[in-house]
Amino acid sequence: MITNSRRLSPWAIPLLIFATLLFVTPVYLMFKVSFSSPAEVLTAHPTFWFKEFTLKHWQQVLASGNLTAPLLKSLSVATMATLLALLICTPGAYVISRMRPAIKYTVVLALFFTRMFPDVGIALPIAVTFIKWNLLDTQFGLVLAHLTKILPFIAWVLVGTFDTIPDDLEKAAWVDGANRIQTLIKVILPLAAPGMAVAAMLVWLDSWNEFTFSLYLTLGKNTLPLQTYYYVVRGNWFQAAAYSGLLTVPVLFVTMLLQRYLRSGYLAGSLKG
Amino acid sequence: MKSATLSWRRHGFGLLLLVPLVAYVFGFTLLPVLQSITYGFTTAAGDFTLENYRVLFANSQFLAAMRNTLLITVIGLTLEMAVGLGLALILTREFKLRGLFRSLMLIPMGVPTIVSGVTLMYVFDSSGYLNELLFRLGLIKLPIDFATGGLRTLMMVVFADMWKVVPVVVLLMLAGLESIPDELYEAAAVDGATGWRAFWRITLPLLKPAITMTVILRGVDTFRIFELPLILAGRVNPVLATFAYTEYNQYHNNNTSGAAATFLMGLIVICVVAYLVLVERERKAKV
Repeated sequence: MITNSRRLSPWAIPLLIFATLLFVTPVYLMFKVSFSSPAEVLTAHPTFWFKEFTLKHWQQVLASGNLTAPLLKSLSVATMATLLALLICTPGAYVISRMRPAIKYTVVLALFFTRMFPDVGIALPIAVTFIKWNLLDTQFGLVLAHLTKILPFIAWVLVGTFDTIPDDLEKAAWVDGANRIQTLIKVILPLAAPGMAVAAMLVWLDSWNEFTFSLYLTLGKNTLPLQTYYYVVRGNWFQAAAYSGLLTVPVLFVTMLLQRYLRSGYLAGSLKG
Repeated sequence: MKSATLSWRRHGFGLLLLVPLVAYVFGFTLLPVLQSITYGFTTAAGDFTLENYRVLFANSQFLAAMRNTLLITVIGLTLEMAVGLGLALILTREFKLRGLFRSLMLIPMGVPTIVSGVTLMYVFDSSGYLNELLFRLGLIKLPIDFATGGLRTLMMVVFADMWKVVPVVVLLMLAGLESIPDELYEAAAVDGATGWRAFWRITLPLLKPAITMTVILRGVDTFRIFELPLILAGRVNPVLATFAYTEYNQYHNNNTSGAAATFLMGLIVICVVAYLVLVERERKAKV
């Protein structure tokens, strides 16, 4: 039975359609600008529909030779950061998940607390240190910096994953004579693999999108987000639009792929990128 | 005796697994934070001083950044929560195409923050698409320049931020709403409480934990907002984070940059703690 309080009021659907239009339109406009001739964008009265479809801006992006280096840098930094994050966090998260609830809660909260600090406060001393260590403008330096953002989050997700695996399984493995490392690798990790995969995809995106640390730690060798910003500063709308599109496609794809996991509340907070 | 050794071994092993994570968080978060605070309280030569803060509070740009940050946080957070909760309330009901709407609403989440800045630049530019829309609707004759400063620019940043994060708020609110059992509404309806009454008496009180979490998550992010003002408002309208960046990048002054970052950190910590204390006190008063 549908009670009165649960019935939809008549203006709800129009409102929802309006909001959805607001959410979708800017993304459409971004792709539209990247495929439009300058005449219909750089005018006092830009058009909303395609009048003259052109691949010119994308050809420029590919032909300029400015794409490959940032693309490769972004790809390799994100991949290295993800692998390193899993390597550092998996054992730690497993231990945290097996702690007594009171301690576990405190540790997770402390991890979360470290994400309260603004990036500009953390990036500044790291930049100063990296100048001394010659890590400015290097891939490895950027990986180290991105991990700062990634680790607390991935640890948080992995603790949740390990929590769903009952510890009876470990006890059974010990009874059968397995030691703790064997238990972890042969019993626990295979069960945690799906959760780890989701976490890996999310942190990969986090690094792929990362802007603030990259801005502080880069002099000349841009990542993809920095390259986009570079065109914004130079006022080149079309290159900025094309690079934005390039940056967005994998993120949009994974977001839609992982919708199911995003529903479970807490993941959502971190994926604002 | 034997079991004690075993338990020591077990704990020792556990601690060993924790070391990389703890060491990393210590070295790459806590240490830098302490260093930033130290920069703020020292001269370039490293002596203790309060001069950096005196300079900041005499700097009109810093005062503007402080005001802008607070306004963006208060206005943005209020609007985000209201709109997010409203949309979530609609999306909990059963209707055709609900799944499609839920999916479409996630699209801004799939857009990197830097890209949302670029995209909304096309919308809010003086020859951008919003101006064109208003013009075609006959609401304006001459284009509005949203980036001239003042409240207009702040509202532009607020709307840009909302575009990006309202979907997150909707998701968090949906998770909270779906944990409220339908039976409560049915029982309330029997007692004659429907519509707004049910919303005030059942939905809001039971949603409080979800609201608290969302306000803290979102509040922290709005305080340290960086990319959107950097792209949309430029240096005309600084916020605290972009101010700290400019001090470092343009003026190569690590000490004032550190001081500004420290001030921002302090602001965030104080607001989060104050909010938690308020929520806790209210909860105790009710029990």
